[in-house]
Amino acid sequence: MGPLFPQEIISGNWNLFLAFIMGILFGFILEQAGFSSSRKLVGVFYGYDTVVLKVFLTAAVTAMLGLLYFSLFGWIDLSLVYVNPTYLWPTIVGGIIMGVGFIMGGYCPGTSLCASAIGKIDAMFFFGGIFIGIFFFAEGYPLVKHFYMSGFMGAPKAYELLGISGGVFALLVIIAAALMFWGGEWAEKKFPREEY
Amino acid sequence: MKLNQRILTSAILILLGLVIAMVPENTTRPYKLTPQQMVEEISIGTEMIQPDELADWLINNDPTLQLIDVRDPDAFDQFHLPGAVNIPLKDLLSDEWVDYLDQDVKMNVLYSNGTTKAHNCWMILDQLGYENNYVLQGGLNYWVETILNPQKPGAAVSDDELARYDFRKGASQALGGGIQTASPAVDKPKKAKPPVKRRKKKKAPEGGC
Amino acid sequence: MRLKHMNPYLAGVLLGLTLLLTFFISGRGLGASGAVKKVLVAAVATAAPEHAAESAFYSKYSGVDKHPLRAWLVFEMLGVAIGGFLSGAIAGRLKFRNEHSPKITSKRRAVLAGIGGILFGFGSQLGRGCTSGSALTGMAVLSLQGFIAMMSIFGTAFIMAYFFRKNWI
Repeated sequence: MGPLFPQEIISGNWNLFLAFIMGILFGFILEQAGFSSSRKLVGVFYGYDTVVLKVFLTAAVTAMLGLLYFSLFGWIDLSLVYVNPTYLWPTIVGGIIMGVGFIMGGYCPGTSLCASAIGKIDAMFFFGGIFIGIFFFAEGYPLVKHFYMSGFMGAPKAYELLGISGGVFALLVIIAAALMFWGGEWAEKKFPREEY
Repeated sequence: MKLNQRILTSAILILLGLVIAMVPENTTRPYKLTPQQMVEEISIGTEMIQPDELADWLINNDPTLQLIDVRDPDAFDQFHLPGAVNIPLKDLLSDEWVDYLDQDVKMNVLYSNGTTKAHNCWMILDQLGYENNYVLQGGLNYWVETILNPQKPGAAVSDDELARYDFRKGASQALGGGIQTASPAVDKPKKAKPPVKRRKKKKAPEGGC
Repeated sequence: MRLKHMNPYLAGVLLGLTLLLTFFISGRGLGASGAVKKVLVAAVATAAPEHAAESAFYSKYSGVDKHPLRAWLVFEMLGVAIGGFLSGAIAGRLKFRNEHSPKITSKRRAVLAGIGGILFGFGSQLGRGCTSGSALTGMAVLSLQGFIAMMSIFGTAFIMAYFFRKNWI
């Protein structure tokens, strides 16, 4: 049955309209969870507020389980769902650069737009910065192109490397997530901080 | 007492994770037709192609025609129709041949020695939702009998039958049959070819930032 | 009146279901930085079309047959802005303010946010996606790339946190 758009069950225009609706849900939930506050977001790195950890991991695990169950029931054809290709080195280095940007800026692209929408001025600076960063990348693309294409491994699933089934791998991720929730709440008690 | 949210969330997720870790992955390919639809399709018989029709398209070098030989490679090597590809029954579901079988550009005509094997293949392909596949009526045996070695009909036959004989004689010559005669085929039976159905194409998944 | 934030686990489940619905409808996950890229490509293609056509980067995303703004992520991010605004309006959090630690000036916060944005923009292009498009979505489809991106982003931020602690706490 699903996914709907890749099988042309819905048209391209519907797909774009529903992207807009999904975006509204996405933005609404991000804001409701408190992702519109940079000091709340970076709290996870200092232990005083681990809402990012909880929301992020719960969301990833929920969607992961959902896809596995949908596939099991035959509701979605996973071969038609986009799997990010793995370019090992640029992903690691890009992640390191983003990590530094995260701890300096306090947002990521999605949350910065969400926070800008409720009037956070720091978020607007961050969002503007993204344009400049991508512009730098675009202009310097010929210089980094070689590195950008390095370490290509196709689009492997993480569990294929470990030689276990997707379900077992998901269970391991869930257990790891549950341990991190526990650690997060422990940290919140240990490094309490009111009103930020 | 308020249940701890963290423990509740973790417990539900781990439980769901345990279930998904224990069940095997769903790797079945969905069959698209119900038995009732299948019965209707077969009883109408639109999937069958008569040798005369096929001979006509072959002589005309119809570019949209793709012959598919479902017999063993040995039999294929001994004899096959011009331009045929060999997809033995056991390889029917291999990924290698999906592009040939699941497409909307050409009209595939499946054949084997008789009708049965090719028709079995067609039923599987039809169930998978692949379109534009057809079966050669009577298979190679009937083909050799009617097209490559046509029997001259007796004296008291209709003009139609004589015309058909003439066509087959010509076709036989053009397609390398046994009997060589001088008169070329002039009167070809004009039959509409089944149209190639445009199927809804699945898009390659797109995504990423 | 300011309402409290949603329970994080509930928010996580709802976000996960939204992501799942996105997969079901569009066969792809949520993203963010890609939309900024599309807007930038459209802007450059309008302001300096020759430069955009010559560049190996811009020409990938722009051309006669495809308008860069007619993209899934652009519509999604429009929705994010509206969804965030609606939530803020309901919860009474609509207010222009520059959020920062009392130990640093407003200006310092703005500069740091800008630099953070630049780094994130650059890194998201090199790493083929940001926290939403690469880490969250990538993990949901169990792609290797998603897990690497997640560990790389959060690991680095965690290690660097010590050096920037005065800006936050």
